Amino acid sequence: MKREKATTLYFGPQHPGITGNMMVRLKVEGDTIVHARTEVGYLHRAFEKLAERRNWIQTFTLMCRFCVPEPDPVEASYARAVEKVAGIEIPERAKWIRVLVLELARISSLMLWHAGQGHSLGLYTMGQWSVGDRNYILDLFEELTGGRIYHMYIWPGGVRKDFPEGFGDKVLHTMDYIEKRLDEYNDLMFNNSIFQKRTQGVGYISQEKVIERGVVGQPLRACGIKSDIRIDDPYEAYDKIKFNVPTQTGGDIWARALVRKEEIRESISIIRQVIENIPKGDVYTKLPNPQKWTIPKGDAFARTESVRGEVGMYVASDGGNKPRRVHFRGAAYVHAITLLEDVLVGANIADVSAIMNSLGTCPPEIER
Amino acid sequence: MELLLEKIRDRIKVNFDLKDSKFNMNERRIDLYIDKKSISSILFYLKEQMGFKHLMHASVVDWLEEGELEVIFLLWAPKEKISVFVKTRLDRENAKMDNLDMIWPQLNTYEREFKEMYGIEFEGLEAPDEFILEDWDGPPPMRRDFDTAAFAKDVYSERTGREDAKDVRETIAKRSGEEIPDFAKKYSR
Repeated sequence: MKREKATTLYFGPQHPGITGNMMVRLKVEGDTIVHARTEVGYLHRAFEKLAERRNWIQTFTLMCRFCVPEPDPVEASYARAVEKVAGIEIPERAKWIRVLVLELARISSLMLWHAGQGHSLGLYTMGQWSVGDRNYILDLFEELTGGRIYHMYIWPGGVRKDFPEGFGDKVLHTMDYIEKRLDEYNDLMFNNSIFQKRTQGVGYISQEKVIERGVVGQPLRACGIKSDIRIDDPYEAYDKIKFNVPTQTGGDIWARALVRKEEIRESISIIRQVIENIPKGDVYTKLPNPQKWTIPKGDAFARTESVRGEVGMYVASDGGNKPRRVHFRGAAYVHAITLLEDVLVGANIADVSAIMNSLGTCPPEIER
Repeated sequence: MELLLEKIRDRIKVNFDLKDSKFNMNERRIDLYIDKKSISSILFYLKEQMGFKHLMHASVVDWLEEGELEVIFLLWAPKEKISVFVKTRLDRENAKMDNLDMIWPQLNTYEREFKEMYGIEFEGLEAPDEFILEDWDGPPPMRRDFDTAAFAKDVYSERTGREDAKDVRETIAKRSGEEIPDFAKKYSR
């Protein structure tokens, strides 16, 4: 009788190295993974089903809960999809404020990524620094929106309220601080020989594979493909702002990390341009009574560039005061399932967590 | 822009059985309504011949009143910067269509989800594992006629302490021997 050489290893759903409540069922021979299967189902909260029983504005309050590390792109996608179906034009100032919020969310999420990627390789100080510094961004969110994590701020018609007094100066001050800290992050993480050895050549994805698999965000840009929805299909005020899209050609965890490192600097530049050029005016278009607000029959899809890549919201209306269908597409829907299952084959079990972090796997985006 | 969208529509019309089409110039978008028999060939043609390389999303909408499920594929042509929404309708009672994950591998995940949540059978789909639902033998829960309240009542029991009254305020008041304030009474069930 032939003996089975492979051992099944359940990575998650409760594991310090995993990126959320999901599991990867691994088959390993020695330390090498020979098969991987993503298993989800630990987190399903039926947000999309709930949305069908709530009116358009009540649904908006559910949207940010799809993804804890970066909720704003989800609510921004929902708001724009609803505006497209309803034919609402929002004020110019609201568009600029949305850019500011999305970029602040981007920096905040990238700082969490520093923590996750550092932790996955034993660099615990990185997480203590970056999560501590992230609090300054959360302070800004609290002042602007009232919430630190979930903001419920970018709603259909614009944004909920304008800047508080002196907010622009506080934002600039925080950006100056974070920019200085990035040099220190660089010394701590990117110049660390352990980080370099554990990421260079690990979790490699070829350019052909990222195209074939429909990969988005940094995993795509780390293979030398300059793709970013903010430039390819601009929304809000991104077409009036100058910024670069960093790329690398390595296709490994190291290349994805370098792309993310540069993206924080680009976001800081975008935020400074917003504060400098934001026009005066209203911040929202007045909408009808939410209980009675009906939207004409139709559908729309709105995409937003999040830290993990392109996310999008499909919204269909049957002409009533509730959505007929709300369907979110997160980057992790591809990255954490078909792509991860592929990339893990041949990897060492010690690298699973680092690979997951580098791909931006966010389980709530899969289950919703 | 209009010419480009018309060109796409005409090429689809010549080569396939196109039921209807709609343009949206502001969004640089064209909607194509097609029969489910042509879906794989049209998607393949759009991807390989017309430059719609990127599958942005796929979705299902349950049109319960019409007895149909609408399956939508949202494609994007990066070069021309236009999107196409390919839509097809399935009979709710016999929701079957071809497996399409050979065109875009990520469709495998979508199909697994649609199978569980909407009960759509994708012929040829290789997905032996459960996706989100575990040991589920009930009706597809994302269909609009799935009664979530009845399901919850059937499967889960009332939390201890609520058997005597549905409203938690009444229970608490009864336990501590207090009266429910008048303003709160009107909200009590």
